[in-house]
Amino acid sequence: MLSVISYPVFGFSIILSLVLSVSLFPVDYFELRPEWLGLMVFYWTFRAPAQFGILLAWCLGLLLDVLEATPLGVNALAMGLIAFLVLTVHQRLRMFPMPQQCLMVFLLLGINQMLVHFIKQTLGADNTGFEYLWPALTGALIWPVLCVLLDNLNRKLG
Amino acid sequence: MRVSARGGLLIKSIFVQGPIPGFRLFLVIVLSATLIVLDTRFDKLETLRSALSTSLAPVVWLGNAPDQFSGWVASLFTTRDDLQAENESLNARLLILERRALKYAALAAENNRLRELLNASGTLDDRVIVSEIVGVSPDPFSHEVIINKGDRDGVKVGQAILDAYGLMGQVQSTSNFTSRVLLISDSSHAVPVEVNRNGLRAILLGNGDANSLELVHVPDTADIREGDMLVSSGLGGRFPRGYPVAEVATIEKVPGEQFIRIEATPRAQLSRSRMVLVVFQAEPELDDAVPASQMNAGEEP
Repeated sequence: MLSVISYPVFGFSIILSLVLSVSLFPVDYFELRPEWLGLMVFYWTFRAPAQFGILLAWCLGLLLDVLEATPLGVNALAMGLIAFLVLTVHQRLRMFPMPQQCLMVFLLLGINQMLVHFIKQTLGADNTGFEYLWPALTGALIWPVLCVLLDNLNRKLG
Repeated sequence: MRVSARGGLLIKSIFVQGPIPGFRLFLVIVLSATLIVLDTRFDKLETLRSALSTSLAPVVWLGNAPDQFSGWVASLFTTRDDLQAENESLNARLLILERRALKYAALAAENNRLRELLNASGTLDDRVIVSEIVGVSPDPFSHEVIINKGDRDGVKVGQAILDAYGLMGQVQSTSNFTSRVLLISDSSHAVPVEVNRNGLRAILLGNGDANSLELVHVPDTADIREGDMLVSSGLGGRFPRGYPVAEVATIEKVPGEQFIRIEATPRAQLSRSRMVLVVFQAEPELDDAVPASQMNAGEEP
């Protein structure tokens, strides 16, 4: 959709999402925190599928693995999967109205979270029910704001 | 001009497909699976993790910056009277603690003499460095914190972390400037403890709740009461001996079960403390000797 993208905006948004995924969220509502990096991967592969793809998403996921101290590769795989799914649907995704896009964000982030928790449980973590889907839901709710904001930044600075 | 250029790019970006994503996905899956297996089964990736973690130190620092900033602003607006009052109360507290430390030094010396009589090795005072918690784990299901001391300050994996009230956890991984600490309340954590009153040994498990721990495998005839203090026994060779860990909160006897259910409240303020102490156990070559002597001491009564 965007004819121009701004690399500084890309770098800044990624760093900000990494910072947001380790802090700046009230501790009591920790499980409600949106999956920031997943949203960023979604946005950038959606807006610039030719420039950002699976491998970059994988590298970013690796950084998230280090920050979250999960076994290296877990989040990386899940991020790569988001990028892949966005790449396969991005042409249809453009035609969707905003609510439907939000639904799509929820689905893909949900798949991401499910994969992460499936691997973690295979490796021996506790089963905590479906609480792990909260980040996908809050991520979907914040998507419209994020999308418009980043679009505007890209148009201004790109 | 601009509009038409935009339109052209727009068409291009809609229909551009790029290389086949399926192959890349396959590559990524294979790569991730290799990494996960290497990391969890063989522990081969500590250097990579440590390097990445060092390069991510600015991210942790940025995450902590707003808090630091608000603290700095608050300190700017502290009045002279407040500072003076604080100074006075701190001075008073210092005096009390110093008196206690004086007494403690005499007691420690006496204790060492008695231990010599028992033919056990003397206890040494542990060296500590003060550190600050700069982040908590983003995963709500794991209890981990990040502290601002790392390889550079000599922190090693496995060192014990204390706050002013008791044992908090142990260092799980280190990078150049920061380390990651696994708290005793994490569901994968266990501490060997003993009851301070009578030396009864047991294992204290975390269960994912910051305010309660579980004491397991205590037979229902054991002498344990509510309010008993649990101190680290040092038997695992990982934690130093004698630091308070938790206090027994509830004891529940379930008829028909071999063991009693015991819940304990951690002494350390796991979710509130900001300053922590990293303990350097003195004289590592004594480590082999310590468990044997402790066993002897434990068997005697």
